[in-house]
This record gives sequence, C-alpha cells and structure tokens, in this order.
Amino acid sequence: MDKVGIPRGIFYYYYGDIWKSFFDYLKIPYIISPSTNKEIMLLGTKYSNDEMCLALKTYLGHVSYLEDKCDYILVPRIDNFGLDNQTCTNFLSAYDIVQNTFNIKTLNYNIDLEKHETLKRGLIKIGKILNKKHSELVKAYKYAMKKYKEKRESEIMLNFNKLNSSKVKILLISHPYNTYDDLIGKDIIKYLEKNDVEIIFSDKLDENLTNKLSERISKDLYFKYSKDNIGALELTKGKINGVIFLSAFPCGPDSLVNELAMRKINLPYINLVLDDNSSFTGTETRLESFVDMLKGDIHE
Amino acid sequence: MRNCYLGVDIGSISTKGVIIDEENNIITSCYIWTEGNPVKAVRNLIRNIKEEIPEDCVIKGIGTTGSARKLIGLMLKANIVKNEITAHAVGTLTFYPNVRTILEIGGQDSKIILIRNGIITNYAMNTLCAAGTGSFLSSQAKRLGLDVNEFGKYALKSKNPVKIAARCTVFAESDLVHKAQVGYPKEDIVAGLCKSIVLNYLNNVGKGKKIEAPIIFQGGVSKNEGVVKYFKEVLNEDIIVDKNSHLMGAIGIAVLARKNKVGKTYSLELSNVKFDTKAMECTRCSNNCELLKIYRNNELVDSWGSKCGKY
Repeated sequence: MDKVGIPRGIFYYYYGDIWKSFFDYLKIPYIISPSTNKEIMLLGTKYSNDEMCLALKTYLGHVSYLEDKCDYILVPRIDNFGLDNQTCTNFLSAYDIVQNTFNIKTLNYNIDLEKHETLKRGLIKIGKILNKKHSELVKAYKYAMKKYKEKRESEIMLNFNKLNSSKVKILLISHPYNTYDDLIGKDIIKYLEKNDVEIIFSDKLDENLTNKLSERISKDLYFKYSKDNIGALELTKGKINGVIFLSAFPCGPDSLVNELAMRKINLPYINLVLDDNSSFTGTETRLESFVDMLKGDIHE
Repeated sequence: MRNCYLGVDIGSISTKGVIIDEENNIITSCYIWTEGNPVKAVRNLIRNIKEEIPEDCVIKGIGTTGSARKLIGLMLKANIVKNEITAHAVGTLTFYPNVRTILEIGGQDSKIILIRNGIITNYAMNTLCAAGTGSFLSSQAKRLGLDVNEFGKYALKSKNPVKIAARCTVFAESDLVHKAQVGYPKEDIVAGLCKSIVLNYLNNVGKGKKIEAPIIFQGGVSKNEGVVKYFKEVLNEDIIVDKNSHLMGAIGIAVLARKNKVGKTYSLELSNVKFDTKAMECTRCSNNCELLKIYRNNELVDSWGSKCGKY
C-alpha cells in the first residue's frame, strides 16, 4: 500500500496529531521525518533560496529527507480561517515550492474557510486519493478530531495552570514550529527549565480566547497565528513576570505583530531572532541576564 | 594584608581587568585588545596587573564576565561567572546609586538598561547583528585611515555631519563609500558615522524604552567624544561618562566576586598553567554537535556544545 511521508516541520506542529490518528484509523502506513538535525538543516539550506525563513528552510530539509522513503508527501495549503484570519504566505506556498523543487507526488488539500474548504473536506479528499471509502473517512475524521481535542484540552489546562505557580513565570510568544523544533527552540526551553523558570507557551492556550483578545492590542491585525500569539499577552495579563518573543529570521508576520506588541506592553521582554547560526553563546547571554533580572538575585 | 578582588571582562574587541578592595576602591586596572584570542589576552592582562599590584594585596575572589566569561572563568578558576548586563548594572550602581538609564555600546553588543530605585526593571540588547557597535566603528576608522582613538576628536571638528543610513552596517558602509567618493570632507563623514551610531542605537535597542535622566553612557564607544556629543544632541539630556566607563563591567564583576567570596585565596601566577582547547565534531548521532573540550594542565575540565549531555 502507498506510504505517506509527513515532514516534521511547520504544519506538523498544528496537524500532526490529527494526521497520525486519521491514518492510524484507516490503517494507512506513514513515515514521519526525525527531529531536525544538522543533516536535515543542511539539506534544507541546499534547496531553499535566500528569502525563505528558517522554519521553511528546515521544512524543505524534512521533505528532502523523505523524498525517497515514501510514495506521497503530505503538504497542505492553508489560506485562511475566515475573515481577518489569514496565514503567512509560506503556508500558502509550501505546496507549490515542494512540487516544483522535488520529484515526488504530493497529497494536498486546501484550508480556505472563506470558500468553505474545511479540514474535514481536505482529509476526505486525500483519503479518496488513497482509495478509501467515504463512510470510512468520515469515521476516521471524527475519531482523529476526538483524540486531538482531548489531548489539546489537557495540554491547555496544564499550561494555564502554570500561571498559579510560585516560580518566575515567562510567557514564550513563539510559533509551535519554532518552539518545539530541536534546532530552534529546544535549547532555549532547556535553559529556562534548568534555571527554574515556569514557561507559559503562547500556542498552548485556548485560541478562541486569545484570537479575540488580540483586539485589545490592535484591531487591525489579520494574521491568525500572530493574533493567537499576542492575545496570550492579554489572557495572562498581571500573572506573568516577563515575555520572550522568539522568531525565526526573517519572519514577516512576527516582524510586524511582535514589534507592535513590544511597544504596547508594559512588561520586561526580550526579542530573540534566530537563524541557523550554531552557537548558543549569544542567546545564552540574553537569557541569563533576563532571568537574572526577573529573579532579582543580583540586588541581594 | 589587604583583601582584594579581581574582575575580568573579556569582550570581543577588548579585555578589561580591575582590582578592587573591600571598599570598592580601584587599586589597579588594565585595558588591552583581545585580538581574537581571549586566552592569550588574559595571560597578558594578568601579567600587567601582577606587576602593578601592591605587595600587601591578597586576591580573595575572581569574577569573569563578557562573551568569553565561561572559558576564562575555567582558566582563572573564578568564583563567579556572570553575563555582562548584570555586571554592568552592578558596577554602575556601585558608583551612581541614583542612575535611571544606562546606555552601553561595546565591541559587538549594545544594550540599554533601565533602573528604577536601584533595581533593574527592564533592558534590551541588540539582536545578534552587530550593526552600530564598536567593531563597526573600528573597521570604518581603518577604512578612512584613522586611529580609532582619535576618531571622536576628528568628529568634533565637523559642523555639517553627512547623513548616513543607520539601520544596517552594510548599507551604512556603502553610503559612506559613496559620500567619500563624491568629495565630502573627511570630518563630516566621520561625524556622520558617529551620529549614525546614535540613531541606530536609539532605533534598534532603545525603541519604546523611556530614557530618563540621570543617563550614564559606558562601554568602549563611550570614549568616543563624537558619539557622546550626538547622544546629548539627540536626547536633549546631559550624558554622564565616567572616567572608568570602559571598565564598568569589570568593576561590576569584581564587586560580585567580593559578595560571593568563598574564603579562598587566589594566585595570579599563570605562567605554569597550561590551558588548551580542542574543537571536534561529534559523530555519534546525526546532530553532529560541535564540541569544545577545555584542558587545564592537560586535564579535561569541561566540554561544551553537546546537545545530548553525554560529554
């Protein structure tokens, strides 16, 4: 049976769990590329051009890793989640970039809520390409969504409860594909945890709340994921000690939305912009001094 | 016998050392270029300091800061290793307890520290790009055939600083070349450069921060009179530059070494200490971590860079 390749980048961090349960239910074999490592990063650099952000670069590395290991690569095209909730252009273009760069068949679906193209329709579409029956696909979709919602709810609960912790609390404003990537966010999270800081993740909060709350910072925004992110500032207001903005270079939405948020909040923050420079020293200096300041140890 | 504390600040461009006593008086200090070799620079620094230190002084604590703090911390067996933001703030607060804003421009980093009631409340540092810092000034000074030490005085001669793009070093440099080629006088270009440093700093590092007096300007670039002049002009406030402004990080870390002393006595004899580093790429897994192993007298004292923690 045809094997589906799932690159561990960008979309994976939003839809990975749903895809896995969906394919599991249908008994469709799939392969997920490993955590980002140097080899994958180098492959990504090889296939990308100078305008692409670090996250898209690594994504292409993951696709390249999978190229000869599966029959299809799963690349969705995500346009919008309704009015004023668009995505970054990378989410729209990844599909075309992969098709034009690599010599492999792709499995593709659209998410474009303005045109009523939903995740359900998308998954059913790719299921049919893989020769599954409609009724079976609807069941698989329901199963995947149920499992996803359960996991998501418990993650949100866990993350939200950290706000009651007595430790120093830092809100990490970052996209999940950066936060949880081994070569981008992992070292930062490891450092903060080692230094006894409670990290509240902006992507693990109820996005229905945060999306709406972002209007308190600005009503003119239209990037869905950025709105979700900075809405977290409002949701956690008064309960956190500081904010870390983490983004991949060069990120279009972040350079607009995060900058705006930085000018409006009244909290200590640092802005970390990462590219594929392998040395952690510069980042460590910034983290160490930030944690020092929040803890206030040096004044004793 | 007097108890003394050594603070060493190893920056990308210069290495600073200072010895203070229990009352934070500076006994001796030294400022030399790092020249890309922090270990060698620190050996020279310690040799200079040893010659000048009075005989009745005993070193009771050593602290290191700056970008090579970890490496030199191992070499000197320091009792405290701290980042430069903390060190600068502590150093400045020791002499200026009322300060509200610290502007700092070093060789590769620039930062702003806001202090209210003697407590750091906010700070910002440049992103990893070194635009508008000392290394940019010194490379441009070389290009113009000037010594970086006389750069500031040269800028003061100008009445009409040229406009130079401030956002990015690469653009600034091409702007500078064009201005020179169409015939602008050198002092106007130099002054324009100093002004661009100030504007770049306020746009990139100081954005959105409330800069309130008293303002203290420090770091190597604070020795440049041109930059100081334009800070005064643009901010419309008085700018304090301490005579030891280039040493504040070293003083701060010496103060922290005093506060964190462990009761040990340290020797400044380094000539019999062998200190080596070896770089290698680990091939155990696909991460291919760049490992750096540190040897003190042929004994492995630390290794860095491993993601899995096996080393």
